[in-house]
Amino acid sequence: MRFHAALIAIPALLLLALPLLAGSYQIYLVELILINVVAAIGLNLLTGNCGQISLCHASLIAIGAYGTALLTTGWGVTYIVALPAGVLLTTLLGASLSYPARRLSGLYLALVTLGFLEVVSIAIEEFPNFTGGVRGLKLPPPELAGWPLKAAGLYYFVLGVTALAICAGWNIRRSRYGRAFNAVRQSVIVAQSLAISPGRTKLIAFCFAAAFAGLAGGLFTAVVGFIDPTEFDISASLRQITFIVVGGLGSVLGSIVGASILTLLPEALRGANEYSDVAYGAILLATLVLAPKGLVGLAGSLLSRVNGKGPVP
Amino acid sequence: MSLLGLDGVFVSFGGVAAVRGVSMQVEEGEIRGLIGPNGAGKTSLINSITGIVRPDGGVIAFADQKITALAPNIIAARGIGRTFQHVELFREATVLDNVLAGLYRHHVYGIAAAIAGWGRARRVEREARGEAHSLLEAFDLAPLALVPVGDLPFGIQKRIDLARALAVQPRLLLLDEPISGMSETEADAAVGMLRDLAERRRITLLVVEHNMRVMMRLASRITVMHQGEILAEGAPADIRNNRAVVEAYLGEDDEHA
Repeated sequence: MRFHAALIAIPALLLLALPLLAGSYQIYLVELILINVVAAIGLNLLTGNCGQISLCHASLIAIGAYGTALLTTGWGVTYIVALPAGVLLTTLLGASLSYPARRLSGLYLALVTLGFLEVVSIAIEEFPNFTGGVRGLKLPPPELAGWPLKAAGLYYFVLGVTALAICAGWNIRRSRYGRAFNAVRQSVIVAQSLAISPGRTKLIAFCFAAAFAGLAGGLFTAVVGFIDPTEFDISASLRQITFIVVGGLGSVLGSIVGASILTLLPEALRGANEYSDVAYGAILLATLVLAPKGLVGLAGSLLSRVNGKGPVP
Repeated sequence: MSLLGLDGVFVSFGGVAAVRGVSMQVEEGEIRGLIGPNGAGKTSLINSITGIVRPDGGVIAFADQKITALAPNIIAARGIGRTFQHVELFREATVLDNVLAGLYRHHVYGIAAAIAGWGRARRVEREARGEAHSLLEAFDLAPLALVPVGDLPFGIQKRIDLARALAVQPRLLLLDEPISGMSETEADAAVGMLRDLAERRRITLLVVEHNMRVMMRLASRITVMHQGEILAEGAPADIRNNRAVVEAYLGEDDEHA
């Protein structure tokens, strides 16, 4: 128990004290980590728990980002209203993905989500008057009730929202809905015999995935201040999948660990950035072979071995 | 009016008829045995009742309502539960989580409550865990609550399967070979447990089982299937002395007799 408390308290204290300890670039990096954590929690509920493979998580982040951006710049809606509105918009569009998922699974569902990804990126590029097209969209700093959100203020806002998102992810994972996700992933027939509707369960999972992605997108506009379609392409989707596989499928902690470590990877590879996709691929493969339950699963089995109550071989 | 009524149910797979016009009635509170040699159509019949297989013809009624070709989860929600021949548990999950999954239907709270983890969600979760623990107690599984089920022996997995099916609070429970893979002593204990279920929890049982010795002691009435049709139906003693049954089933398949 004390160990668990320390596991939460030490990173939490470091994150709270960060503006005193680090420069603005490091703070920016941590903000990017937090945004990726939010998105990865959503994808992990959908893929890790409910077993639905999605290649369009980046598109859902894009919808949240462009939705929030267009509401603030186009319609003059204040950021604190535009952010949840963007989440709502993303959730509605994400829900539509659950209809093909009722009939398709595995590779076929992956292809449908790939189609969704294409449609979203074409939509962004074809309406440059709204979206800035391929040249992107520059955004003014967001305001919170008249106060501009920047520097430490922005950081604490992102940190607070992420903390709430982590709690929400944890609660969902432990709720009856989280158990239904796991049931549908492991056996649709058994889930149905327990009066769990697979269609409704998938709908809920896609809504959650989209809501977290939309929230991440809305935060991204505030932190980066500039969005363009290349941020939300297929490799961004694949990065999200790498986060949850490396961290640990089906685990909120796995989403946090995977997104944290791999968001920093390009920094570690600075000077060799053209190889970063290779590095992502290599890490993904190594995890699948060496630690199929991800870093969190690996740590768990190491810990239980140390405690002398390892799993029966 | 009987609890479960089948009228001329017909099931075929790619032109091969597995069930040919089966009609039967199961009364509330009885323990009905369903026997027959391999390939007689027992599992197909069970699958058509639970909605996994859509019948090509005939009507299935449960508690005076037609359930033919409804989605399996809706049929389960109406009160028909089942266990599986080759125990289908959530292997990575713990014993407790397997049983909790069965409580989905009767311990309900909304999505907003689930996200917040407060109020109604918290109260209902506490109730669900209490309920799960009393089910685990009833099946001598309480000490194993936090063990992943994949690590447990088959006989225990059968009990978990049963506890999980009961968590859905069925009125009718379909048991597909509940005794198979058990030792004699385990089987005797299981018979006692199933009789107890029917008597104390007022659950109607429809049991598919190969082991005739067990079936004679368990069932209050037995239906015999052969080549997709009903060959005979009656009290266990009558079935044992029925010449057609002996020839079709017992004669052909001595080892199970």
